[in-house]
Amino acid sequence: MPRIDAHLHVFTKVSPEFPREVTPICPADREEPAEKLLSEMDKHKIDQAVLVQIGGTSIEHHSYLLHCLSRYPDRFLGIGLVPPNHANPSEHMKELADGTGIIGFRLFDLGGPRDIFETKDVREFKTYPIWECAAERDYVIWLYPRSIDAHLLPFLIQTFPQVRVVLNHLAMTPGKGKFTLDEHGRPQIQISGYNLNMHTTYRLARFENVNVHLSGQYAFSREPYPYQNLSGMHHNLLSDFGSKRLMWATDFPWILENPGYGELTTIIEKLLPNLSESELADIMGGNARKILRFTDRQT
Amino acid sequence: MIRPTPEQKEQWEQQGYLVFENAIQGEQLKRLQSVFDFWASECKDEWLERVDTGDAAATFYDIPNPLEKDTIFIDLIDHPSYYGALMEFTNDELILLGPQVRTVAPWPVSYTVWHPDVGQSNPLHIKVQIYVNDVPKGCGEFGFVPGSHKPNAGPFIRPLFQESMTGHRTFPGKAGTAIMFNSCGWHTSMDNTSDTPRKSIILIYEKRTPGRIGPEQYAAISEHCKTPERRKLFSLAD
Repeated sequence: MPRIDAHLHVFTKVSPEFPREVTPICPADREEPAEKLLSEMDKHKIDQAVLVQIGGTSIEHHSYLLHCLSRYPDRFLGIGLVPPNHANPSEHMKELADGTGIIGFRLFDLGGPRDIFETKDVREFKTYPIWECAAERDYVIWLYPRSIDAHLLPFLIQTFPQVRVVLNHLAMTPGKGKFTLDEHGRPQIQISGYNLNMHTTYRLARFENVNVHLSGQYAFSREPYPYQNLSGMHHNLLSDFGSKRLMWATDFPWILENPGYGELTTIIEKLLPNLSESELADIMGGNARKILRFTDRQT
Repeated sequence: MIRPTPEQKEQWEQQGYLVFENAIQGEQLKRLQSVFDFWASECKDEWLERVDTGDAAATFYDIPNPLEKDTIFIDLIDHPSYYGALMEFTNDELILLGPQVRTVAPWPVSYTVWHPDVGQSNPLHIKVQIYVNDVPKGCGEFGFVPGSHKPNAGPFIRPLFQESMTGHRTFPGKAGTAIMFNSCGWHTSMDNTSDTPRKSIILIYEKRTPGRIGPEQYAAISEHCKTPERRKLFSLAD
């Protein structure tokens, strides 16, 4: 069974060859290239990974992602981004995904009414054309929705049951103003003591096409690795979604310094110690292979 | 105080629930509906702000501090329709833990899963759910697994689909219906596939244990709690 890191980011310094946006989390002179990632993966026997676009939504901003996918086609698949106000998102999606290794697109905002009591016609949601294109072209929808949008999900998911959906980072839905950077310059998300996602994203377990990443623990926990305070959350996700719809991921590079890539490769067995060997193998890569359709690595 | 009949006591012991139809009725029900709608509307914007900041769930909301907003909510706590049963089952050692005055939006899936609230080691924990509007089948009605409150019941496995729960029954009902249940039992809100929000009030009680609720918890409504019995119910000082 392959071991697959199902969500992470690579990027280079800003250059004419690889333009990207500069943000506090990705300053112009920082680089976390694919080769650095591959070195960690090889050291810890991780076969493949999903590279998730960071640093901008335009076609040009995807240059480094496309470069990595082209250079290491048997190691990586990619997830792209769509400009929020693109006039023709399906054209953008097709251009990025056509034979490149990009298999899906990540969304943060869903573009529907913020009030669940006013949610009526899914076709009026701003991201409807993106979902429609994903359904037509068999793209994966990669989701990290904001809390105000969480109620919109089942309307889209039941409209497009053929679309494979992956909820990022423990199916969390960060609230406005709860996102900061910690002392390591990586995301820190303040979450409610009571897990409100049990009443929104966890309820999407009903839909067979919805899968969840077990990742991003460092951003939600105030405890050191292995973030035992999130153990209950992992158990609830396992109980609701089952071991065949969960995917392990590291969110590289944000975990490189603390706690380290190697530590992340054992986090699932630490937070879910009662998994059988085959369940653990599924979560560590078997599910990603099947759901995201990785091909076998050429050795 | 109207104590439960032997048949009601038997059902409570064996099944873990009782249904009181028309528990709230007539003018009192009309006033409850009017007060509920007023405060639900008043509180909605604040709830949406809290959803935005990740401090509230997007699928339902409660009116904050309802007991301080209108005395009708206080009167529901020891309402004669079910108060005698609550007292009987707790050997007259009843305390209020809290009310939830809740509006649940229609949604493709229920906002909550099948679950018990407490384990068998907890002091007797009872909830009373009162429908403020009519709740027909398929509109978020209460669901319960009869007998699941017993120590030797189960094990129960949470299904993906609400209607797949083994041995459950559902409780569609008219506005004013009150459903009392042992919170050790497995329960849920069924899916609401209608266009109508479910409005209900969930009252949470427990058999008294020392220090469970401090006298400050309901101090703000102390003036409305004149009788010794009511002060005891709200854990207020004599």
